[in-house]
Amino acid sequence: MYDAPNLAESQVTQDNIKISARNVQVFYADTHAIKDVDVDILDKTVTAFIGPSGCGKSTFLRCINRMNDTIDICKVQGDIMLDGQDIYDKRVDPVQLRAKVGMVFQKPNPFPKSIYDNVAYGPRIHGLARTKADLDEIVEKSLRRAALWNEAKDRLDQPGTGLSGGQQQRLCIARAVATAPEVLLMDEPCSALDPIATAQVEELIDELRQEFSVVIVTHSMQQAARVSQKTAFFHLGHLVEYGETGQIFTNPEDERTESYITGRIG
Amino acid sequence: MNEEHISSAFDRDLETVQALIMKMGGLVEESILNAAISLEKRDEELAEQVRRGDRIIDELELRIDEETARIIALRAPTAVDLRVILTVMKMASNLERIGDYAKNMAKRTTVLSQLTQIDGSAAALRRMARETERMLRDALDAYIQRDAALAREVMERDTDVDQMYNALFREFLTFMMEDPRNITPCMHLHFIAKNIERMGDHVTNICEQIIYLVTGDLPDEIRQKKDRTSVDPDASPEFLS
Repeated sequence: MYDAPNLAESQVTQDNIKISARNVQVFYADTHAIKDVDVDILDKTVTAFIGPSGCGKSTFLRCINRMNDTIDICKVQGDIMLDGQDIYDKRVDPVQLRAKVGMVFQKPNPFPKSIYDNVAYGPRIHGLARTKADLDEIVEKSLRRAALWNEAKDRLDQPGTGLSGGQQQRLCIARAVATAPEVLLMDEPCSALDPIATAQVEELIDELRQEFSVVIVTHSMQQAARVSQKTAFFHLGHLVEYGETGQIFTNPEDERTESYITGRIG
Repeated sequence: MNEEHISSAFDRDLETVQALIMKMGGLVEESILNAAISLEKRDEELAEQVRRGDRIIDELELRIDEETARIIALRAPTAVDLRVILTVMKMASNLERIGDYAKNMAKRTTVLSQLTQIDGSAAALRRMARETERMLRDALDAYIQRDAALAREVMERDTDVDQMYNALFREFLTFMMEDPRNITPCMHLHFIAKNIERMGDHVTNICEQIIYLVTGDLPDEIRQKKDRTSVDPDASPEFLS
């Protein structure tokens, strides 16, 4: 048989598990939002979480960097291990955890500070730079990674809020990567962006996977298909199906996945 | 997966290509039968009708290509919808080839009606054509009913058509060895037999595609090739039997 190369998108080159979740349950007061979720998220891979509104995909994403700790009525059970370490262990400092597990939200939310300070904020509070020169270097590297350097290098002292929507989102990504995270969580990062800015962010996600494990929640199935190597489908709090993205989109195993991705009532 | 899409326009689009491919399949079935009848009955008028009918089959293929390209561009089909579109496209090109073979048979019918008749050959070819047409009809049923088992069964039946072809091949060789004046009609008849045999292969391709549509995987068992005449120069009638 002719040994043809695979399409780049279909390659899952990694088998190192970065995050391992077992028997995860999440409750909001009496509501059981996540039910028995087991999943292994790979290193240096983009994993997409898809599913209808209210299926629990964002809730589960927020468990991975303990963002749910900030919600009083929210209770998380089960094990979530990052590199084999339980992130809900009492000795783990959530602030330190969030430096390792960065997050980008649906709406761009730059601090009301300069572009420079937006990116420098994390490295400063975590003490990642000893000198001004170190910090300058981190800011430039982060902005370059977020494909914003060329547009922002001459206006670093201007407010981040003065950038366009797409630029603001890339600024938020620069801010998230500035603390040298190992995992980047993205909760619908493109829903407020136009198609060009979306394409830029998607290109960026693809570059980021060289270094990080990226987990993206998206309502756009086409986006999940375009950017991810692995896809997880959530429905009514259950992880229904988790597999290679190409397989999920051509031949899903579960009928609920099929109904959802083909746009039928599921 | 009989549920409807949230977007009813998507369902209408899929129904449209479904109707087109069934129309095309029906016309191709008719062409095969008419080509065989025209050969047996030396009916040049019917042969002419088959030749003209092929144009409509070709147009339907173009139409299906356009509609499927449109659905891919506008609706980005996934999962079973994607497999339906891919299957319809491949079915259309296979059906178009089968239609071409039927047209070729009809062309030779016109030539053959001027030549000496070879005993029993037309009836044998008609039986072979009928079997191939039945295979096609069942394949189209398997498509409509999403029946992978039926598609597999139809694939098995292609062996019968291959055996009929091998038998006819031996018969024509014998006729040609007996009398060189039989060579011209036998060559034409042999091409017709070969055409029908190729139709069976295209039906097999359609069945493979239906299995992919239903299961998401192409069948892995590769059908045993029993026909050695194309690879073995020594495959004389004596050798084969």
